[in-house]
Amino acid sequence: MKRKEAIETIMTTIEPCDVVVSTTGLISREIFEKFDSDRNIYVTGSMGLSSSIGLGLAVSLTNKMVVVIDGDASVLMNLGSIVTIGNKRPKNLLHIVIDNSAYGSCSEEESMSGSANLDRLTTDVGYRYIQIVSSQEDLKYAIMMFRKGPGFILAKIELGGRRDFKRPLNLVEIKNRFMLFLTPTVRGEQL
Amino acid sequence: MDTTRSAFNVLADERSEKADKLHRLFLEMGVNFVSGVPCGVLRHIIKNFNDDGTILHIPANRESEAVGLSAGAYLAGKTPVIYMQNSGLFAASNDIASLLVPYAIPIFFTVSYRGCTGEDAVQHLTTGRATEPLLKSFGLSFVVFEGHNIDILVRSMFEEMHKVKLPIFLLLKRGWQK
Repeated sequence: MKRKEAIETIMTTIEPCDVVVSTTGLISREIFEKFDSDRNIYVTGSMGLSSSIGLGLAVSLTNKMVVVIDGDASVLMNLGSIVTIGNKRPKNLLHIVIDNSAYGSCSEEESMSGSANLDRLTTDVGYRYIQIVSSQEDLKYAIMMFRKGPGFILAKIELGGRRDFKRPLNLVEIKNRFMLFLTPTVRGEQL
Repeated sequence: MDTTRSAFNVLADERSEKADKLHRLFLEMGVNFVSGVPCGVLRHIIKNFNDDGTILHIPANRESEAVGLSAGAYLAGKTPVIYMQNSGLFAASNDIASLLVPYAIPIFFTVSYRGCTGEDAVQHLTTGRATEPLLKSFGLSFVVFEGHNIDILVRSMFEEMHKVKLPIFLLLKRGWQK
């Protein structure tokens, strides 16, 4: 599976009302260029924090499904976050890690995901649903079968892919429209 | 022995009028989410957060995580407060600068200020010296609490924070609560 295939599968399989928090670098830039939407938050800086932001959203909006699209090096950069997620056990959090075993947005330097056993770590800290997939069909099925979080899907991809995506730059506007997207939920009207 | 009493956080059992006042002000300012990493200087504040069922308290393992958690809560419509030691401010400094500032996310930080006058622990001296310059270089407002009227101070800090849509920092030195 390629990065573009993993992203396309995720963005077309999740529900239109789900919230998306995507990690730093090419993952956010590809989603921004191809699947930009009011329901997306792009973690352009603060690498590693997408799962923390997702958890903050999930515990605050328990009726909203939050999908975190993380990378292997970024989840490793803030590994304590999976312990917090496993401790709070939000049912409405699906944590997907797109894993190319590299710092793909830099120069594809090798990360440590090959020896990290992220599936076992997430099991041990308390995630309720764990899947490892390496094809679009299996990724789609793993997302569709997800019922009760915290869920963890490790989506193995190949190195490579396009790098010339535009950047999300108007972050304040992205924030404002995201908060507007959530407003009915915040008011409790979309329960 | 009272078995219903938690074994944790007993060191904060003594009350502090100032901490209680600060807590009431937080509630008045609409605070309903907190995250952070503990510091002994902040024990009364943290105890009040733990004891208050109206506040969603999600402790973090590291200060960066607290910034992410609180940013998520803010986007979901909550009014968060973050607590940490100033050492943690350095650990989370990139997250403040690259998430909260460009996204214009206003969060009230309660930060204990180690490494200033009277410090007995050498590991705090460098970050102590650099704390105010760090916040200044980020262009972010802060107040070092020195016996201000806490009521006027906290109200005006929240007002400024909401106006400029940026994080703001209350620095508390050891013994601030007396």
